[in-house]
Order: sequence, then C-alpha cells, then structure tokens
Amino acid sequence: MSIAPKPSSALLIVGHGSTQNPDSSTPYFEHAEEIRRRGLFAEVHCCFWKEEPSMREAFYLFDSDEIYVVPDFISEGYFTQDVIPRELQLSGPTTVLRGKTFHYCLPVGVHPSMTGLILRRAREVAPHADPAATTLIITGHGTGFNANSTKAIRDQVALIAASGAGYAAVLDAFMEETPFIADWDKLAPTPNVVVVPFFISDGLHSYQDIPVLLGIEAEIGPAASQREVFRHNPHALRGKSLFYSSAIGTEPLIAEVILDLVSDFDITHKH
Amino acid sequence: MTIFPKFVKSAIISEKLRSAIAAGIHQIGEIEIRSFDSNSRFKLCHVADVDGHEGSGGEDLTIYQGPGGAREIALEGADGSNRFLKAQENLRRGWVMLLDTVEDLRLALDQFYPACVGLWLAEQEGTLEVEHLRDKLRRQSGMYQRVRVLSDEALQKLVGQTCSSVVPCARRLMWQLDANTPLLPSAASCRSGIPDGTPAGEAIPLLCREACNHFVAECLAASKAAASPASGHSRPA
Repeated sequence: MSIAPKPSSALLIVGHGSTQNPDSSTPYFEHAEEIRRRGLFAEVHCCFWKEEPSMREAFYLFDSDEIYVVPDFISEGYFTQDVIPRELQLSGPTTVLRGKTFHYCLPVGVHPSMTGLILRRAREVAPHADPAATTLIITGHGTGFNANSTKAIRDQVALIAASGAGYAAVLDAFMEETPFIADWDKLAPTPNVVVVPFFISDGLHSYQDIPVLLGIEAEIGPAASQREVFRHNPHALRGKSLFYSSAIGTEPLIAEVILDLVSDFDITHKH
Repeated sequence: MTIFPKFVKSAIISEKLRSAIAAGIHQIGEIEIRSFDSNSRFKLCHVADVDGHEGSGGEDLTIYQGPGGAREIALEGADGSNRFLKAQENLRRGWVMLLDTVEDLRLALDQFYPACVGLWLAEQEGTLEVEHLRDKLRRQSGMYQRVRVLSDEALQKLVGQTCSSVVPCARRLMWQLDANTPLLPSAASCRSGIPDGTPAGEAIPLLCREACNHFVAECLAASKAAASPASGHSRPA
C-alpha cells in the first residue's frame, strides 16, 4: 500500500529501548531514517520507554500539530494498551493534547504482512532445511501483566500453520510463560528446529537471554554484533539441528509496515 | 544530506535554533556548535577538540558528513561504556560533523541530546511542564508500582546516587519530590545544565523535566532491596 505524503503531519515511532543493550534501539532509528529519507512527513521522531527521549519528552520534539503515533512493538499488550497511552496521555484513537492532535495507530506486530516476514526470515536462516522435517517456533516474551501480549504470536502461528508453508509443526513458545522456549527440543517433534524471535530488536532478550534458554550460550554474554550469534547456524544441540534467526523487527521492510499502519488509521478513523 | 520535501511548512524549532545560534549560542553539553555562511551551514565537535577543529591537529578528527553518524558517536563513551543517558559527561572525542542545513543540525542535536533543544525552547516560552517525582512514581504500573512506597529520605538519597553516579548526568533537575518538597542540595540537584565556565547565554541548557525511567528502575531496585535486603538488585531491561 502506498501512502500519500503528509506534509503537515509528524510521525512518532515508539520503541521499548534498553539501558543495558546499546543495540536495542537501532532498528527504531533505522526505520525512522528510512521513512524520513522518503520525505513523506514533515517530521519523523522516535521515543522510548527505557531510553531518551522519553515519551513525555517527545511532546517537545514537534513543530507539527498532527502526529501519528506508531508503536514499534510486536504485540498489542501491556505496553501498547497501558504504558504508551498513559505516558503520551492518549485517551483514544485520536487525542487532542495542548493544541496537538495525536493519532494512535496499531502496533507493527499485528500487521498482516508480519506473517510473510516471519516465513522469509525462517527460509533465510535455514535455506536447505526441508520444511517437512522442520519445526518453526515463533518465540516471544510473555507476561502476566496483559493476556494480549502473547496473542500476536499465537495468531502468527495459526496463520503460518494454515498457510501451506509446509512446516511439520509451527509452535509458539515464550520466555516467561508456558510453553517455555527453554523446552524447545521437547516441544519440537522434528530433527530440524527454526526459532524466530518475535521481537523488534536484537537486544537483551533475543540476543542475550534466549540464546541461553536455547542452550546456544552457557551464560548471558555482552551485547555485540548480531553476526556472532546468528552466523553459526545450525547449532547441533540436544540431538537436533537448531537454526536461530535475528529478531523479526530488524527487517528493513518494517518501515513499510509502519507506513501501512498510518494509512490503515486514516482508512479506519478518518473516512 | 537529509531529503525534506519542498512543501514542508517552516520548521519552527529549527528556525528558533538558527536564531539562537546567530544570537551567540555555541554550545550544548559537551558539543561546540559553529555556524558558517550566514548561519546556513554548521559544524559540530567535542568542546575539547575545538583547537583541533579550528586548525592544527584537525586532520586527526574523523569527519562525518551529515547527521547520520550522531547516534553512533553518542552510543558509547571513550571507554566503551553504554551511554543510555545521553547527557552523561563522557561523550567521546575525535570527530567533527559537517551539516548543510539547520534541519540536519537539529537532527544531529536530537541524537546527541534527545529533545533538549525543544525542551529548552519550551522553557524559554514558558510552556515546559515539569512533573515532580511523586507524580511520576504514582503513575507507574505493573512491577513498577512498588516504587510508590519509597520514603522521601530514600528518594533524596537515590537522587544523589543515581543522577551523580560514576558518570554524572549533566541535566538540570527541574523537578522536586513533590510541589512542596524540594530536592536536598547536592551535586545533582545544583547542576545548571550548562557546562562549567560557559556563560548562560552561550549554551543550550540540558533540562530534566521529570525523572527518567532509568531513575525509576533504580527506585524499583531500591524498593526490592528494602523489602528483601538479601536479594540484591534485579537486572533492569
């Protein structure tokens, strides 16, 4: 879907960020720069939960009076339903605050194109693995704070299972909820297992925590270039061949998803 | 150079920044701002590299064309430490950034010191809304709700510890514990947001309009430690 230029509007990309991992916010800035380069908005800015600028500081970034807010988050859940509306003081799809109009779009993770991006990642990371002998696991955080946090992953599992992609099994697994990603070898019935982290960045969880849970790393290592972990596929572990991809949000096409979400907002709420 | 569509309306913040530089502003945090060609082109460098920037030794500086390198420069200190607070006074040296437009200047400054230009302009215009610490803690949810129980004494101590940690944050703390409880005098609470030795009218002050989420995470760790002294701090995200 192409988006008409919005020369009087701004785009605000909201991310999680991290005080521990400097790589965490990289995808958000890359997505912002790609959209900025296209000159579609008067302004494109980022703000974060854990980094600067904060969501409350973001208000002071804008010249524009109309701002589209896109949560660069992977699911509708605690952050998109509780934290972001609270911090940005949003009361609904459209909120007028101190003379500026904020439009709150859906998060990137619920966009229909995410299914294709996951399948592309899975094929890239294991190009020679026969899908019939392969389990695809989509993994995320999982949290008790909001039941919707895992819904995006479960929806993707259902969509891929029904897509005819040919995987012997398509499963969801989480860091802090059952089924646990640490049990990947018990969950997967096949000799090959592809794990795609349903996160935006190769940050604390996908780069440092999950490799430990999978058994790729013995302990949590320092943040570093993603290549060091991801280029060693496949990992021969627990009697299986494990292929671990980088986080789905590092995909450059997420910039297209963000633009689609702005268009979707206009179609749903402005017409 | 960043591409902006020709139909974009006048960028108000950028033009105010240009005017401020024309009026004598030449520094923000650890960065020196120089302008050329009637304030249409700009050059940034670390204040400690100004001499190299101007002449002798300048060939040792890495030249960045455009604002694209600002995030990379600001990401880690010279010792490789993660600068998750961009006003930490450990910006690395050895670079010069050439910017062809005031829009690119603003993009670069927003990477070095996020939102600080806009915060300063809002303060000057009387539209900056300061939020006190108790209000910030009161609106926390999820696992962060427990930070509400911290005493005034514990919070005052955390300000001194967190905002003046090993690498202090240079922002001026504008908030109090609440409307009636100012921060106790300390190195952190007395900071002006302007580098020592720089006249107030020559630098954009770095302003802290409410406690950052790193501070809230430290509050969480302190509340957990208080509840279970043996458990120690948990790891923030």
